[in-house]
Amino acid sequence: MRTKLIYKDILILIRDRGGLAMLFIMPVALVVIMTGLQDSTFRSLNERGISLLLLNQDEDSLGLTIEKKIRASAIFSVHTPDDSKELTGLQVKEAVASGHYQIGLIIPRNSTQQIRDRVKKNVTTILSGGRIPEITTDSVILQVYIDPATQSTLRTTVEVSVRELAARIESQIVLSELAREISSRMRIPLSDPALLNQETVYYREEFAAQGNRKVIPNSVQHNVSAWTLFAMFFIGIPFAGAMIREREDGSFARLLTMPCSYFSIMFSKVIVYLVVCYLQFFLIMAMGIYIFPLLNLPALVIDGRMGTLSLLAVTVALAAIGYGIAIGTIARTHQQASIFASISVVILAAVGGIWVPIFMMPPLFRHISQISPLNWGLNGFYDILIRGAGIRAVLPDMLYLLLFATACLLLSLYYHKMRKDLI
Amino acid sequence: MNPGSAAIAIDGLTKVYKGNSKPALNNISLTIDRGHIFGLLGPNGAGKTTMIRILCGLLSATSGEVFINGLPVKEKLREIRRIIGVVPQEIALYPSLTAYENLSVYGGICGLKGKNFKLRLEELLPVFGLEKSLHSRVDRFSGGMKRRLNLMVGMLPNPLILFLDEPTVGVDVQSKKVILENLVSTNQSGTTIIYTSHYLEEAENLCTDIAILDEGQIISRGSPEHIRNSGDSPASLEEIFLALTGKEVRD
Repeated sequence: MRTKLIYKDILILIRDRGGLAMLFIMPVALVVIMTGLQDSTFRSLNERGISLLLLNQDEDSLGLTIEKKIRASAIFSVHTPDDSKELTGLQVKEAVASGHYQIGLIIPRNSTQQIRDRVKKNVTTILSGGRIPEITTDSVILQVYIDPATQSTLRTTVEVSVRELAARIESQIVLSELAREISSRMRIPLSDPALLNQETVYYREEFAAQGNRKVIPNSVQHNVSAWTLFAMFFIGIPFAGAMIREREDGSFARLLTMPCSYFSIMFSKVIVYLVVCYLQFFLIMAMGIYIFPLLNLPALVIDGRMGTLSLLAVTVALAAIGYGIAIGTIARTHQQASIFASISVVILAAVGGIWVPIFMMPPLFRHISQISPLNWGLNGFYDILIRGAGIRAVLPDMLYLLLFATACLLLSLYYHKMRKDLI
Repeated sequence: MNPGSAAIAIDGLTKVYKGNSKPALNNISLTIDRGHIFGLLGPNGAGKTTMIRILCGLLSATSGEVFINGLPVKEKLREIRRIIGVVPQEIALYPSLTAYENLSVYGGICGLKGKNFKLRLEELLPVFGLEKSLHSRVDRFSGGMKRRLNLMVGMLPNPLILFLDEPTVGVDVQSKKVILENLVSTNQSGTTIIYTSHYLEEAENLCTDIAILDEGQIISRGSPEHIRNSGDSPASLEEIFLALTGKEVRD
């Protein structure tokens, strides 16, 4: 009997070409487009950098060092037209406002000399036992213009970089002046004061993967995880639709008058859609591994963890199918089910971190994200694909997903019984 | 009431839908003997479909007891499902599947497989005139063909009791003739038929036992002849029906 039910669900599925397209072509298109878009954004920052128009009017240490450092930095693509000396601050502002440049930076004339004079004055005052006035009018102002369309993360990057460079130069000048003043007052011979500026604290970066695995995260590792999950949860729409169609045309009721339980009817659907989810999963993984490099995208690196990924995919699929069953049972009409399913999956994806990383969310949403099954799935995928974790690390996520699937099934059973008893 | 000897025995059956104060079925007691074609007639909203759905186990009763072939519906639904056939009012078929696939799926669920399925198919197909369309998709069928296939699915497992909820709605004269002839021959081969319809003339010719249901209560019961003669003077079933249920249009 169950084989007949499965046979029936397979036939219905393969004859619904629109539904099949939605189940296979759309997720693949989604993964390719989103990965391609994000990869190009990622590359454009790295390869082209943030376009910066520099008006360096200071011909001394500050201006020269900032120019040298930002030119050496991979973050910025520095533009200093030949006639930049002729440019005014207003023109720099207008060039940024018109969107030609993302950032405009003006280093005023005699900035270095101004800093030097001020530092000298301060050092002399300190060494003479005097007090430095807290507010001074002779501060150097580095003017930064930012295109309002520039992302806040880029703005922060520029601010931090310019501040760091300015602070470093200022401290160099302070140290040099201090050394010079002390040398002259105490009559101690002075070697090169620049030696005092040697860096003693260094920064080393490494992506923390588990075990000895070296992981280089890229847009593919992130996007394949996120959009595979999204696609798998989108199965709830055709699934709920198929259930409601069966209910509306009376076939579901007819099945229930035959030697066939509600459980058997649902079981066949779960099996068929589980296979569909699995095929979706393998299709997207295969796309990531074999097709993405042909599209000039980085290849998805599975690193021998297909077994763990497959187990996680089963739990994600069960959660998605459980969700579809619940919607298909509770919704009264096909329209109600399709609207609710699509909007709710988009919301669950949004709060689950599919579009915006959880750490960037406000605290309230960070808490809410913990109850999204897509978040549990995403954590699991990240653990395996990016953090290099094994089955033990993803067990809690798998358990949550299974509990979610069970809760959905129990809710559906309750509704099914309620329809029979109470309506 | 002796439920063991009857095809269907109903005792004090009441159904009140949630949010409705008025019962859809109000304390109905009824016995239908085996071998009859029982017609359940009534205007719209009389409670016919509710009653059929309760008898098939699709809906729970608010109170009362129902026995099918001596088996209580509440406790023995699984066994009951093996001896009944249901032809719902809707065309309960899978439109993207062919007629054969529909028959194979529903037949298989009822335990009809392999040679038995083939034999039953050979028996029923010519009767319903669906041999040539067996491998066509149901969504390409005419309304009459769909109705015939809908009935054929219900009759496929050769049930002891066959429930039919308005099986001839919207079909042409030819298809209606085929359907009614088949119901008679099925009944002659030992199947008890429970049938609801709005077509009184059809019911009058087909049924051996009739109950007229209105506002959840049985207001007349007996053979067509008995009901026709139940008034002051003999009349047609339609005249009696209108006299009993009134001429007011029902929703």
